[in-house]
Amino acid sequence: MPESIDALHRANPRAEAGFAATIDAVGAEVRLRIAAAGARDEPRVRHVRPRRRILGLSAAGVALLAAAAVAVFLTVDSSGVTPGVENAAAAIKKAATLTAASAERSGTVQVRITHGGQLWASKVIRWNGNDVEINDLSRKPSAGSPLLVVNGLLYGHDPQHEGWVQLGPVSNIDPGSGTTPTEQLDAIREDVGGATLRRMVAAMSASGLTTEDRSDGSTVYSGTVAAGQIARETGFKEGQTIRVFPFGYVAHGAAANAASLLDTAVTVAAGGVIRKLAVTWGTWTYTVTYSSLGSTPRIAAPEHATSLLKERMRAVHER
Amino acid sequence: MSEDRSQRFDALFTAYGRDIVAYCGWRASSPTDAQDAAADVFLTAWRRLDSVPEGDAARVWLYATARRVLANQRRSRRRHVALQERLAAEPTAAAPEPDPEAALVHEALLRLGARDREVLLLAEWEGLTPAQIGAVVGCLAVTARGRLHRARRRFRAVFDELGPEGRVSRDRPLLAKEGPEHA
Repeated sequence: MPESIDALHRANPRAEAGFAATIDAVGAEVRLRIAAAGARDEPRVRHVRPRRRILGLSAAGVALLAAAAVAVFLTVDSSGVTPGVENAAAAIKKAATLTAASAERSGTVQVRITHGGQLWASKVIRWNGNDVEINDLSRKPSAGSPLLVVNGLLYGHDPQHEGWVQLGPVSNIDPGSGTTPTEQLDAIREDVGGATLRRMVAAMSASGLTTEDRSDGSTVYSGTVAAGQIARETGFKEGQTIRVFPFGYVAHGAAANAASLLDTAVTVAAGGVIRKLAVTWGTWTYTVTYSSLGSTPRIAAPEHATSLLKERMRAVHER
Repeated sequence: MSEDRSQRFDALFTAYGRDIVAYCGWRASSPTDAQDAAADVFLTAWRRLDSVPEGDAARVWLYATARRVLANQRRSRRRHVALQERLAAEPTAAAPEPDPEAALVHEALLRLGARDREVLLLAEWEGLTPAQIGAVVGCLAVTARGRLHRARRRFRAVFDELGPEGRVSRDRPLLAKEGPEHA
């Protein structure tokens, strides 16, 4: 056999370190998705409350079905895992499914990154229907903050204008860039309760969980998660791999190394919805706090916003 | 949800999970996308378990499904990556040092056309026969055999041309080069 073909065989990704772990991770993810899909794919459940029909099922129905489905599939890979850990894994997976369902219509998250206890970056994201508000609370907020998308129109701030500036339809400003309201919401929902959270919870369950019951009825589930399951690789920039935490902060240090095991804690409120997510590496902490899932008020367009398009047209006429 | 159904699905994942994870690994744009795609493939298999053929044909069915899942993922990913980068703050991480021979293979593969690369890797990495490759990519077995023959010849030529001094670009996914395909 030619040397080139031999070399090709040796380069088969099956031989790479971590391949077996990847199969395990995919297996866990598959079971979780089946559990979640099982919840969505059962439209004839009798316990549906009409008010929540937009989700296909009531939140309680989703949780019950997810728990049932998870229980079936836990038998597949739970060898060597104690019943207590199985229960914790099922509970946290159920919470992830319930959180995703609760976040479907509206919600609020606060994302914070601290270094040595000091705030390094923070933002609050609110959404309701197809409208979004992103407010950067960092010491040096990004340009344009806060950012609003209401009825498909993008609003922000511009150094050359006082007050709000209406930047026009999002889809027209940057077509195909992923910044249309629908795409932004898809990304946020994926981070709030979709694929991102389910992937982390699956990894935590696989690595073993410890639980701590709090006096307020909440439970804190702690475990380790490979950084690659939290901060997703989104591409390359200036010759370097970029990994981005949920809600858009670029990972660095150990968090940028996909194989690093990061301490992760998920707080599930008494109602069964995830309230807080915390990831720690070295002196850094990344937290996401969820609130008002399903009850975040409508987001209003700012009054008296200056239309950037009209401003530019007027400037052209004045020349 | 019957016990038989669960058992059949478990058997399917045990038998072919490794293959689909590997296939998605070299066809997706990133490791996390690969895991997402592989999970999607098996979720599809679960939903359509009655349509999944028995025996080794199930493997081909899974590869063909993975191919469609990855195509859909690429379309949606273009938009999502743009959003992530727009929201991102600062880049930092460094890529690991590649193995020289693997990097050479990777570079040679990148210099092939997308179609050549696909049939070559389906044969050499996934162990599919020309008939199975034809079923996965949607062509006749005889066509797949011809493409595979040409792909092997081109890969050998590029590999030899690059030699041990070949330029390394392991940090680019195999999917990155989707240039004009060979006839």
